[in-house]
Amino acid sequence: MAGIGFELRKLLNKKGYLGLLQGYFYAGLISSGPWVLSILGVLLIGFFSIAVVVPDFLIAQFQVTVTYIMAVSLILTGFIQLGFTRFIADRLFEHKDYIVLANFNGVLLAVTLAAGLLGGLSALFLFPEESVLYRLLLAGSFVVMSDIWIAAIFLSGMKRYKAIVLLFFLGYSITVAAALLMRPFGLEGLMGGFFIGQSVLLWGMVALVLYEFPGADFVRFDWLEVRKVYPSLIWTGFFYNLAAWADKFIFWYYPYTSNQVIGPLRASEIYDFPIFLAYLSIIPGMAVFLVRMETDFVEYYEKFYNAVREGETLQYIEEMRNEMVATIRQGIAEIVKIQGIAILLVFALGPILLDALHISRLHLPLLYVDVVSAGLQVVFLGLLNVFFYLDRRRIVLMLTGLLVVSNVLFTSISLYLGAAFYGYGFAAAMLLTVTVAMLVLDRKLETLEYETFMLQ
Amino acid sequence: MAIIRKADSADIALLLEGTYPYISGGVSSWVHQMVTAFPEYRYAIVFIGSNPDEYGQPRYQMPDNVVHLETHFLHEKHGESETKPRKGDPQTMQTVRELHDWFRSGSTEGGDAVFKALASMLLDSKDVGEAEFLYAKTSWEYICQQYRERCTDPSFVDYFWTVRSMHEPLWTLARVTQNLIPVRLFHTVSTGYAGYLGALLKNKRLKPLLTSEHGIYTKERKIDLFQSNWVRDNRDAFQKHASELSYFRSLWIRFFQGLGLACYDASDKIVALYENNRLRQVEDGAPTERTLNIPNGIKLTRFAPIRPNRDDSPKSPPILCLLGRVVPIKDIKTFIRGMRTVANELPNAEGWIVGPDNEDPAYAQECRDLVESLGLSNNVKFLGFQKPEDIFPKVKLLILSSISEALPLSLLEGYAAGIPAVTTDVGSCSQLIYGLTDEDKALGPSGEVVPIANPEALGRACLRLLSHFDVWQACQAAAVARVERFYTDDLMFGRYRTLYQELLGEAATPDTTDTETVA
Repeated sequence: MAGIGFELRKLLNKKGYLGLLQGYFYAGLISSGPWVLSILGVLLIGFFSIAVVVPDFLIAQFQVTVTYIMAVSLILTGFIQLGFTRFIADRLFEHKDYIVLANFNGVLLAVTLAAGLLGGLSALFLFPEESVLYRLLLAGSFVVMSDIWIAAIFLSGMKRYKAIVLLFFLGYSITVAAALLMRPFGLEGLMGGFFIGQSVLLWGMVALVLYEFPGADFVRFDWLEVRKVYPSLIWTGFFYNLAAWADKFIFWYYPYTSNQVIGPLRASEIYDFPIFLAYLSIIPGMAVFLVRMETDFVEYYEKFYNAVREGETLQYIEEMRNEMVATIRQGIAEIVKIQGIAILLVFALGPILLDALHISRLHLPLLYVDVVSAGLQVVFLGLLNVFFYLDRRRIVLMLTGLLVVSNVLFTSISLYLGAAFYGYGFAAAMLLTVTVAMLVLDRKLETLEYETFMLQ
Repeated sequence: MAIIRKADSADIALLLEGTYPYISGGVSSWVHQMVTAFPEYRYAIVFIGSNPDEYGQPRYQMPDNVVHLETHFLHEKHGESETKPRKGDPQTMQTVRELHDWFRSGSTEGGDAVFKALASMLLDSKDVGEAEFLYAKTSWEYICQQYRERCTDPSFVDYFWTVRSMHEPLWTLARVTQNLIPVRLFHTVSTGYAGYLGALLKNKRLKPLLTSEHGIYTKERKIDLFQSNWVRDNRDAFQKHASELSYFRSLWIRFFQGLGLACYDASDKIVALYENNRLRQVEDGAPTERTLNIPNGIKLTRFAPIRPNRDDSPKSPPILCLLGRVVPIKDIKTFIRGMRTVANELPNAEGWIVGPDNEDPAYAQECRDLVESLGLSNNVKFLGFQKPEDIFPKVKLLILSSISEALPLSLLEGYAAGIPAVTTDVGSCSQLIYGLTDEDKALGPSGEVVPIANPEALGRACLRLLSHFDVWQACQAAAVARVERFYTDDLMFGRYRTLYQELLGEAATPDTTDTETVA
């Protein structure tokens, strides 16, 4: 989210608490808007379909289908997400704006083909019992959603954060409205509504891109060079998304914690709901993360490298390094504080919340631990961001790899230990990775000038 | 690195920095003269350049006794050591610290021990020393510490890169010592990197080292550094004072002084071209007892035959000649202005400027414009490159208005052709005009010496000689006698032969020329 700092600083520099509030609200909206809208959209469709779509089981089938589409499309596009972001940033830095659009089209084409192939084959072979229409909508939604991630990355690379949130809002409003209108047609109706809404979202984004970034060529494949230039980014994106979903897949396919929902898709009633709820609790953490990173940290980060480049004294360079370290420490401390409050709130209000949503209080222990894990994940994102700024790509790769391995390992152990430990696998993996990340960051910052001068 | 000629061994290794055989000039001509004059010795040449693309084909036809030639480039990408973090060895840094302290002390005392330690650090086969310097934490800390303690310029990044680019060539040189073929004597023709290489080689191979200096390397580098803008220092208007040398510049100067000191310390004999330079070497740390003067010499047989063709009479046209490239260091403009003074009294006086003017076209144009504006178009002529034999018979005075010279051969050539001279007080000029030893002085002046950048004085001196034929004739006689007695190539070769034999431990052949060793 580079470049957002300027707008945020403008808001924060306004007098009084209103500006501060606006700043954090804006940050929260931008950092959490899209995925909060996705979760809320799907929940809302489910909520309003109760008693209209009969039997209830069809609603679960819809929600699980959408969840899988989301998970698999994220993991699939994970290969190119970071590399493409970097590619855009590099080209903009070189003032080669004109080839960016053609490359966006190129990535979109490639992702459409890959997602089409994967979605098409799955629809063809994995759901023999379902209607042709469901299978078509499944494959179609999968392609559309994969493309949405690419378009969102492109627009955020182009710093159109507000537009992304607005388009997501529009897209999910239409998704909910269309799905609700087509409720009478059961599962196919819900899926149809979802597909229509998502398509509107995608075409809205594509239209914005075409309108704002005219390009000479139509399709280019320069972006393929990231495989050679930044091979680590390919795997980092994949590992990160895989790690975020690994524990869920394990619970979905472990017989004692899951049940079959539709075709080969399984869900874990006990595991799924608390984790999605927990993710809603990180909105304030994400807002703080964005504000701290993109304003204070980036300010001193830039001062540090300018001091190095433009011939400042060693004393001044070290001062800027220390300020940078202080902003990182402060930023992480604030994320921890705000997530601490969020966790306390969930602990206090959890029972009431579950009752209100008519969900069994048996989910409560899992919700508690998931809130902690989600909070740690925000801290982890913050740390990764620092590493990205310092261009320590190999460290990021190592950390995301560690998260995949530890999440798989600890989640499996938690399953073995029994129901009381569910959720602790993901939490332990997050805790371990965050701890390692902090130790590594500590060492890297300690030797930042040495590495900047001597090893680059 | 490249090996152009290859042999298994040689007698004398010449260490040449940026000269023979790739660059033409005074020093290169001298080297060519030397290798040609000693066919009995087999020479290996180690050429040290800055960037490979700055040098083309050899400019000289090297004689067959140059059996080996290898080239090394200081700013070529080198170093096989991999960029990766390393802790570094504190003991190594301690040695480096001692070495730097020794360089700073400026004395030759105790140099041996530190230098041996350094050489062993540089000379390991796995480039550990270089990796240590480039990547080690200890080296980083040392650089930071030195910056804090000493650097008075603010920019750390410039300090850092100054230190790096200064030291990196040392490893290129260290690698030379590993692969050079066996020789019996090292002969460096400057201090600087070549001289430092000589010190490393002497240390490793335990063979004698002879240093011949034409200019004074450190001094020339100093002029370079003062004139160049390539040393950035990042001082703003308030920090900058015109008289204050930037720290980076003084760092470079001290670095070259350090290299020079190492070279003097390791040398068995240190040869200067003339007395002022020898004193300068001693001032820079050369042990007096190892220094001596061997001036350049010219081939008399080439110029002596010109004399009978001369038409010397009070009536013959007053022709003054400046022999040299049209470049600022020769200060052609002072000569032109001086010609105004001369022409005021001798309207038929001619000033010939003989030498290529394509090296600095802008300066050459300025000179032409100056001639125009002083109304000297009929007096001053740019003749371009000419053979001395063609112009010398007509020339009555040789002029040297340079702001810097070493031992100008053109002056000696003029002497041999019977031409007295008026020169500025630079390099060996005073010695060449008035004589060095009592015996030499007794010959009388062979012209006149004037201060630099003083056209009036130059013009007056020329007038004194041109309008008093008896004085002119006395100077001519002194000039001829002086060059024949002290500045022939045979004398120079004789002295070097003696030196070579002495250092190589050979029995000295009976030598008729007297070796003028100044102790």
